[in-house]
Formats: sequence, structure tokens, C-alpha cells
Amino acid sequence: MYAAGIDVGSTQTKCIVLDENRNICGRGLRMTGADVMKASRQVFEQACELAGIETHEVGYTIGTGYGRFRVATGDDQITEISCHAKGAVHLFPKTRTILDIGGQDTKAIRTNERGEVVDFCMNDKCAAGTGRFLAAAAEVMGMDVSEIGPASLQSTQKLKITNVCTVFVESEILNQLGRGKKREDILAGVHRSIAGRSASLLRRVGLDEELTFTGGVAKNPGMLDAVRTRTKLQVNASEDSQFMGALGAALFALERELAGANRQEVQS
Amino acid sequence: MSQSYLHQGSGQKLQRKLLGDWYQNLQEAPQRGEKVAYLFISGNIGELLQACGFHLVYPEVNALQCGIKKVAGPNILSAEDLGYSGDVCGYVKNDIGLLTGGNQMPQGTVLPPPDLLVCNYAGCATYLRWFEALAEFYQAEMVVVDVPYLRGTDGPTAEEKAYVERQLRELVTVCERITGQEFDPEAYRQAVARSAQTEDLWVDILQSAKRKPSPIDAYFEAVFFMAPIYVMRGTEACLDYYRAVKEEIDERVQRGIGPLAREEVRILMEGPPAWPHFRRFWEMFKKWGAVSVASTYSKVGGVWDLGFRHDPDRPFESMAEYMLGCYTNRNWGMRSDMLKSYAEEYEADALVIHSVKSCRSFSVGQADLREQFIREYDIPTLFIESDLADPRYFAEAQMKNRIDAFFEALKHRRVTAQV
Ligand code: SF4
Repeated sequence: MYAAGIDVGSTQTKCIVLDENRNICGRGLRMTGADVMKASRQVFEQACELAGIETHEVGYTIGTGYGRFRVATGDDQITEISCHAKGAVHLFPKTRTILDIGGQDTKAIRTNERGEVVDFCMNDKCAAGTGRFLAAAAEVMGMDVSEIGPASLQSTQKLKITNVCTVFVESEILNQLGRGKKREDILAGVHRSIAGRSASLLRRVGLDEELTFTGGVAKNPGMLDAVRTRTKLQVNASEDSQFMGALGAALFALERELAGANRQEVQS
Repeated sequence: MSQSYLHQGSGQKLQRKLLGDWYQNLQEAPQRGEKVAYLFISGNIGELLQACGFHLVYPEVNALQCGIKKVAGPNILSAEDLGYSGDVCGYVKNDIGLLTGGNQMPQGTVLPPPDLLVCNYAGCATYLRWFEALAEFYQAEMVVVDVPYLRGTDGPTAEEKAYVERQLRELVTVCERITGQEFDPEAYRQAVARSAQTEDLWVDILQSAKRKPSPIDAYFEAVFFMAPIYVMRGTEACLDYYRAVKEEIDERVQRGIGPLAREEVRILMEGPPAWPHFRRFWEMFKKWGAVSVASTYSKVGGVWDLGFRHDPDRPFESMAEYMLGCYTNRNWGMRSDMLKSYAEEYEADALVIHSVKSCRSFSVGQADLREQFIREYDIPTLFIESDLADPRYFAEAQMKNRIDAFFEALKHRRVTAQV
């Protein structure tokens, strides 16, 4: 028995295939592009191929993410917040709070031990304090986004970056550089400033037990460190952090499939 | 609604007509030389003021009407232009914007100025400042009826009742001076008797929601059905109105009709609605087949389902009891006990808390309420935020996500429940 979850995000589409013991046996990933249906079909086929199964062996599929209603093979749709919570609690069972920093938005989710959403809160209006902000900072420094996290960890002097606004941060960074401040110190300040903003979002849903960090920015070690320092919590991040939504969707799908099978057994 | 039926919509239609007539009558009062009193909904003393010869204006009702008719936004902005801060209750700012703009309601009525402002101060500190501003603006006389907040668990004490009752009697002499008319105790007694009858009907209507499926949405529909018992309680027209609504609900029961085609989830609602986006707000719940079986907002004007009735044999004393027992005048222990008992009696699956930025009387304590329901009672609880008057505080996508995530968890639990 197999089940799949497909997460259609604004930039990437991801798929996870699970076997009946909840083991991940296939992953699929590609850019979403203009044709959502096609993207979802392709990641699904890719994941099945990796799992070494035929697509028809997958008994139940759930779509999530902004394009969830256009998943070609979906049996049902579930919001990405529910899926992130489900995936995070599956990988790190003590997770009660989830921080998801993506390119355009930051989400704080509180969950219970069943992986159900208890509360949810999102940055509103602008991209302040999101992945977009980090990208802007990297650009001003003439660095690649993947370099700024490790660089920030080299910092030796505490320096305060007050702006979280993507537009104004540029001039603040240039200003600091002009005053002869070190790159790594400025970058550490940038990471701390995002962590601070995320923490206030997290506090609105409540900080509890362990925090799991998901979304693209969770790959940045500088951010992980800054969030850990700021929240003083155990902070988890998985290699699969960008697949968290798809994983949650696949878990929902598997539970549905198992429940359906049980029901049939009882009836027959 | 799943099918059509004989009395369909009669409650709604009649409500609109009653309120329309009410406003019309108000507009003409000054020409007839009749006096006008302004007062608040929570623990209002409409029967008493009417027996003194006053017409009644409820600024809160005007504010919610402006909210639904989508003019609260501009009214609030003009109040902010005058210097009212973003933190002030949207109802107040709507009222200030309304009056400085000529006091014309969206449906056309021009509201008469007050001859008397009665701050029947039950559970909301903002009331006091609101009427102080109006008193200044209109140069009208203001009387505050101080209603002590309920702190204990056993309801109001004898001293508290006596304290409020004495103030009501003092108020009567003020009224007589302003209207130049003598208070009519017999008219008051009769009005109070009609109120008690009306309250019986209203409680029956609300409690019909104990059935499965519930014939009524005890929030999204009840907030309209409740208007007459708040603004014109004690009148013959009001009593007739609830007879008609009862007939409509009885017919729904007979035919097994509910507010939605299918009742999937039974919810309790705490907090006022998002008036400026009412339809869209309701849709977010309808989509999941969620029917409200009990709500606290439908009790802001009076908590009758827990047993209280106005009493024609003790018209002043029972009025004092009524004012003290208002929902927002109850402490949080009482409020959460009330919701807990609703959860049991109405067999609700979940609690939904709609926290509004404007109203501290409602919102302070709601976060703790949520914790209590989740942790102590293991009742799934959804917490969402917007406002009852200010359209700017409605983050639709965010709210929709939150509601969807909540109901999909409930649905998933059901679908996967072991057979
Ligand atoms: S604060 Fe609440 S109770 Fe007070 S006037 Fe505003 S909405 Fe009404």
C-alpha cells in the first residue's frame, strides 16, 4: 500500500511517496512553472519511479500548497499549514511550534501532539523578515544566499541591524560597511534581526517544547543558530525541510487509505 | 437552507421592517416634540425609559448597521481625522464619524439628537468615555448607572442589586424633569410583563439548537433575530415578532430543515461577528458544514437562557438583576463555565473564538479561555481575529487558512476514526 502527497508551491512543486509503514520511498521535485497540472503529474511520476512502483499502486493522493486544487491526481486537498504541522510532528514528535520561513512569507504554527494545527499566524502585508530579506542582504554584500549563513557564524562582534524592511536594509548595510564594520558581523546582525521578528510571530502562537524550522531558509545554518539563541528552544531542522508539506500531505493520505481499508474489512 | 418552506425568511423580513419603522419613528420624534434618550445595549433599560416617555437610540446598533452596510470604514476614518487613535473601539469611532457627518444612517434616517444620555455601564469601560464625548458634543445631560462588575461566582449580591435599583429610581426623577411628564408605573409594569413573555419565546428559539440537526444557526442567524429583543423589548410589536420567529423555527423543526443543507460540525461561537464582512465570514464556516449551536454574542443584551426573567411584580429589582447579569459583566470564570455547559448541552464538537480588536470587554481573557478549553476540556478550539466595525482588520487569506486548517483536522479525525 502506497500513498502520496503533492505540494504545489509558488516556485517549486514537490512530491513524497510513502509505504504503509510511513517510510519515505520516493521524492519528486521540479519548478512549478506555468502549468501546475503538468508539474504535479511530473513530480508524482518521478517519485513513483524512485520508489520503484507504478503510479496506479498509489491508493490515495492529497494535494497541498497554493496550487492544491489543480493537482492532477489528487483525491483531496489539505492546506499547507496542516501539512507542515503533520510532517514536522512525524519527523520530530516533540514539535509543538513550527517556524516556516519561505521566500515571501513567514509562518508560525502551533501544533498538538497529534500534529493538528492549534494556532497559526503569518507575516502580513510585506516581505520584511522573510527569505526575500536575506536575499536582498546577500545581494548588497555581493554574496550568494547560500554563503551568508555560514559567514555569519564567523562573527566576533555584536552589531545591531535595526531594519527588517527589505527596502531599507540595503542602505543600512552599506552604511555599516562604510563605517568599516566586518561583513560577518553585519550578517550576524541581519540574521538576528530576522530571528527577532520571527520570535514575535512565534510568541503570538505560543512557544512550547521543541521548535521545528521548515521552509527554504531552514537550510541556512546562520538562521538556525540565530533562532536557537533567540528562542532558547531545541530547534530541529531536517534535510527534508523543503519536502515537509508534501510529507504531511502524504501522511494524511496514508491515514485515509488505511482507514478506508479497515472499513472495507469490517464491512466484508 | 436545504429546501423551501412556508415561513421561510419571515423572521428576517419582519426584523427588517420592524427596525425600519423604528428608525422612521425616531426621525420624526423631535417634530412631535417628543424626547429622545441614548443608551447602550448591554443591560439596557428600554422599558423604563419608554415608560418615562422617551424614544430610544442605541449607538451600538447604529454602528453595527453601518458595519453591515459598509459605511463604518469611512466613518471610522473621519473620526481618526479628528484625532481618535487607532486603538479606540471601532463602534465609538463609527459613531463619532456618523454624527460629525450629519448623523444620517445608511438607509436614510437622520438620527435625532439626545435629550438624555444614559450610560447603563454594564461591563464596558469604553461606554463611559463614549457618552462623555457625546454629552460634550450635544451639550446633553448624561446619567451614569453604575453597574458593579460581577466578581464572585454566585451572581449579584443583595447589596449590589439594591445599589443598582436605587440608581434606577433616582434616574426616574431626572427623566420626569426632562420630559415634563410623569413616570407611568403601570405602563412600566406591563412592558416588563411583555418582556418576560418575549424572553420565554426567545429562549425556546435559542434552545431549539439542541436538536440534531439544529433548525437555527445560533450565531449567524441569531445575531439578526436578537435585534428586536435588544432594542424594543417590552413592546407589543416585539412580542409578536418572536411569536413569528418561533413559528418559522417550529416549521423548520417539523420539516427537519437546518440553516445549511447538511450539518457536519456543531460549533460554539464566542465573540462578536465581523460585521463589515459578515457574508464572507459566514461563508468560511458554511463551506465546512459548520452550524453554530450556541453563542455568547447572542447573549450580550441579556442572558435569559440561564433562567433570568424580568418580573412585573418586581419591575425595578428585576431590572437591576438583569443589568448585573449581562454577559460582559460576568467574570471569566462565569463566562467559561457558561461555554462549557453549552458544549455539553448542545453537544458541540468545537469552540470558535472570534477575537475582535475593538472590544476589550469581549477579548481580554479569550486567550486563556482557549488554553482552558484545549488543555482542560480537550475541546478543539479555534482562535481567529478581526474586528466588529473596522473593515481594515480583516485579513481574509490568513483567516481562511486558519479556519480551513482547523476544520480539516476535525474532518480528518472523523474520516480516520477507527471503526
Ligand atoms: S468596547 Fe466593546 S462593549 Fe464597549 S462599546 Fe466597544 S464594542 Fe461595545
